[in-house]
Amino acid sequence: MPKCTIDGKEYEFKPGETIIQLADRVGAIKIPRYCYHPALSVVAQCRMCAVEVEKMPKLQTACSTPCAEGMVVKTASPKVKEMQSSVMEFLLINHPLDCPICDKSGECDLQDYSYEYGAADSRYDEQRRTYIDLDMGPVIKKNMNRCIHCTRCIRFCDEVGGYREMIAMKRGNSTEITTSDGKPLETDYAGNLADVCPTGSLTLKEFRFKKRAWMLKKTPSVCEGCSKGCNISIHHEGGTVYRLLPRENQEINKYWLCDEGRFNFHHVNSETRIVEPAVKDGSSLKMTDWKSAVSKAKELAKGNVLVLVGTDLTNEEITDIKKFADTNLKGAALYHFGTPGVTKTSDDKAADKLLKRTSKTANLNGAEKLGLKPYTGEKSGATIVFTGGRAVLPQGISGTVIGVGVFEKEDAAKFEVVLPGLTYAEKNGTVVNYEGREQKFQKSIDPKGKSKAVSDVVKLWV
Amino acid sequence: MSFTTPQGVEPFIVSKFFYNKEAAALDYYMKHDGYAAAKKSLAMTPDDVIAEVKKSNLRGRGGAGFPTGMKWSFIPKQSSVPKYVVCNADESEPGTFKDRAIMTYSPHMLIEGMIIAGHAIGSHIGFIYIRGEYVREAEMLEKAIDDAYAKGVLGNKVLGTDFKFDLYVHRGAGAYICGEETGLLNSLEGKRGEPRVKPPFPAIKGAFGGPTVVNNVETLAAIPWIMTNGGEAYAKMGKFPNSGGTRLFCVSGHVNKPGLYEFPVGSVTIRELIYNYCGGILNNRKLRAVIPGGSSAPVLAPHELDIPLDVEPMMKAGTMLGSCGVIVIDESFPLVKAIRVITHFYAHESCGQCTPCREGTRWMEDVIYRIENGKGTLKDVELLSNIAANINGKTLCALGDAAAGPVASFVAKFRSDFEDLIRGGHNA
Repeated sequence: MPKCTIDGKEYEFKPGETIIQLADRVGAIKIPRYCYHPALSVVAQCRMCAVEVEKMPKLQTACSTPCAEGMVVKTASPKVKEMQSSVMEFLLINHPLDCPICDKSGECDLQDYSYEYGAADSRYDEQRRTYIDLDMGPVIKKNMNRCIHCTRCIRFCDEVGGYREMIAMKRGNSTEITTSDGKPLETDYAGNLADVCPTGSLTLKEFRFKKRAWMLKKTPSVCEGCSKGCNISIHHEGGTVYRLLPRENQEINKYWLCDEGRFNFHHVNSETRIVEPAVKDGSSLKMTDWKSAVSKAKELAKGNVLVLVGTDLTNEEITDIKKFADTNLKGAALYHFGTPGVTKTSDDKAADKLLKRTSKTANLNGAEKLGLKPYTGEKSGATIVFTGGRAVLPQGISGTVIGVGVFEKEDAAKFEVVLPGLTYAEKNGTVVNYEGREQKFQKSIDPKGKSKAVSDVVKLWV
Repeated sequence: MSFTTPQGVEPFIVSKFFYNKEAAALDYYMKHDGYAAAKKSLAMTPDDVIAEVKKSNLRGRGGAGFPTGMKWSFIPKQSSVPKYVVCNADESEPGTFKDRAIMTYSPHMLIEGMIIAGHAIGSHIGFIYIRGEYVREAEMLEKAIDDAYAKGVLGNKVLGTDFKFDLYVHRGAGAYICGEETGLLNSLEGKRGEPRVKPPFPAIKGAFGGPTVVNNVETLAAIPWIMTNGGEAYAKMGKFPNSGGTRLFCVSGHVNKPGLYEFPVGSVTIRELIYNYCGGILNNRKLRAVIPGGSSAPVLAPHELDIPLDVEPMMKAGTMLGSCGVIVIDESFPLVKAIRVITHFYAHESCGQCTPCREGTRWMEDVIYRIENGKGTLKDVELLSNIAANINGKTLCALGDAAAGPVASFVAKFRSDFEDLIRGGHNA
């Protein structure tokens, strides 16, 4: 392989690789950047990644300069540092510096690079540029005053999001980044704009003023929104999930996450989620202790019991349920349920060109592999429904119903017993995506209220 | 705009038909050996045509001065996508008005040059990208092209040969940045007029993804003469190595006879141009400054006028020949106002893509405006040169340099003008 030298060290590069790609691949070389994003086209317009290349009179942008045999690159020479500092100054002269009230604060490239490459004071005495912001729909809050015109958002919409809906209006110093005609965003992937934005110009409306970024704990996980199995990071603090962010996985979701998956955590924090064991008393459910709820459930689960297993549960949970049914509910019939109309992995199709699948649970494939058959409306005197909170309860369940898992009060109104279980954020486990890829995820927060894992519920029952 | 013929100088190559209202007609052009060069060229191999142009030492007349023959030779011989010849008629550099005259009086000279260029690089489609404000010129070009099609000069059988060449006029919408060749190509494709990242250069991936030559109007208009009279004859006219032929100088500002002047390149100095041909300074006032190559060229002080007007000598003097737009400023005009107007222009025309240009041009304008209005401090003068230095050479395209060069040079050469205003003096 051909070689080039960066900061005095020799590296092999792949043909066609740019300086910034090489630097990112080997990891040891740090080149600041705003407009460059590995998944978007190269525009070389922020100028932050400028490096010195021997024999070239001008500094070159690392994002647009291909490595060449024998090339000698300096990423921290005095000339480079001067350029970085001047770019920082240019970017900040019109920036409001409102970090104290900005949601991006703490995870902002502009803030970080300013600290690292910029000057401590400002030479700017003129009036700062301001804009009036139009609404961009329910997902994204725009604050154009903070924008540094990197155009990542425009390129994301053009090249990834599927709609050419963000544009640069006017020109020069008055350039405004906006949706065309000031319309709300149409893409189902709008949340990614907040991720690619290197400043607080595009933030999530949902997350606004909820939590400072540096207070959040981050736990790697897998999205349970569909059978794609996108890798995510759960951001939580004090037992509350605040947001879900995509976690890079080049083989599955690359850098992205759809809005459906991104905002699929409200049921975890929901105030109407049943987090204490409950038993029907008259016409409504009444909270009780585990012991009495389980003994009530045991009493009701007599005869030919039907066991419905949500495909939002993990392999471990499904295995436990199977074992439990085999030993404690002799003759019980086990079926899986999850997405109306998509009952087999072979029916599970791509729902769009990017990530979404038609199966809206994470583990349809896993449930199939563990031998479960889809529920097709079989009836029984008593039914036990296991779910992680994502699977859609099948229509037409009759007779006595015992719910084990995550339920909203409304969903379980007709149940005889509810034994509260765990959401994906509260447990470890393994799910199998549509293509058969097994992925493990970790527990982020402690179980809410008195909720228990399936394995613990099963132990109490025995 | 009226054009004045300098006394004692014969218009000879691109200005051959200037001020002759009949010359724009195809019949007239044909009668005066029009399209003979194209016929001759079409009988030659493309390589021979390029070799001839290389021999001529013709350098691009748009501003950068890149050798034209070499530019043509960069176009790949084989291409799976169509190749294009694009004429840059965006002529938007303040102080420049030569291409307009060529298109007015010799549209067929330009068309002929484009046919030859098309043959040389193996392209069958040409575009003339003309600035939106040139409405009349665009109409004249359209008429010339219609006439050329009617007479078989353009179309499937150019001048009776098997060479096919189609030509289109594309009007811009009034942006300076669309005179930058990749900004032009984006605009031509219907995109936002923003310069592209280079590489790839237009010769490899230009208009609509095809290999593309982008040449200035004056460059292409010189091609027929070169093909008729030979590259060597053209090269010989130049007074400095690697720079041949003649150039049109657009003289404006405080001279007695502003207008267009065609000279062998390098044969006159700025002083000779102003005093021997343009009749000296208006009302016998004193000369204060000369911007020699369009408003983006660094300014020259009165003691710097003995520089021959050619690419290399101007570069050595720290400025540039650019588009040969010579702007003469006398003592009656405040220099700080002059640089404020120039800087306003570049701030207004910045496309806004890259950081130093988008932010820096406006910042410079604001600071100069403050100084001009008596609200500056001595620190601001230093700040100005520093902002200019932070823009110069650090932007995506040449617009940054175009804005920074004048500011840096005005501050360096006329610092006292700024300081006088800061200290409460009058703007004079």
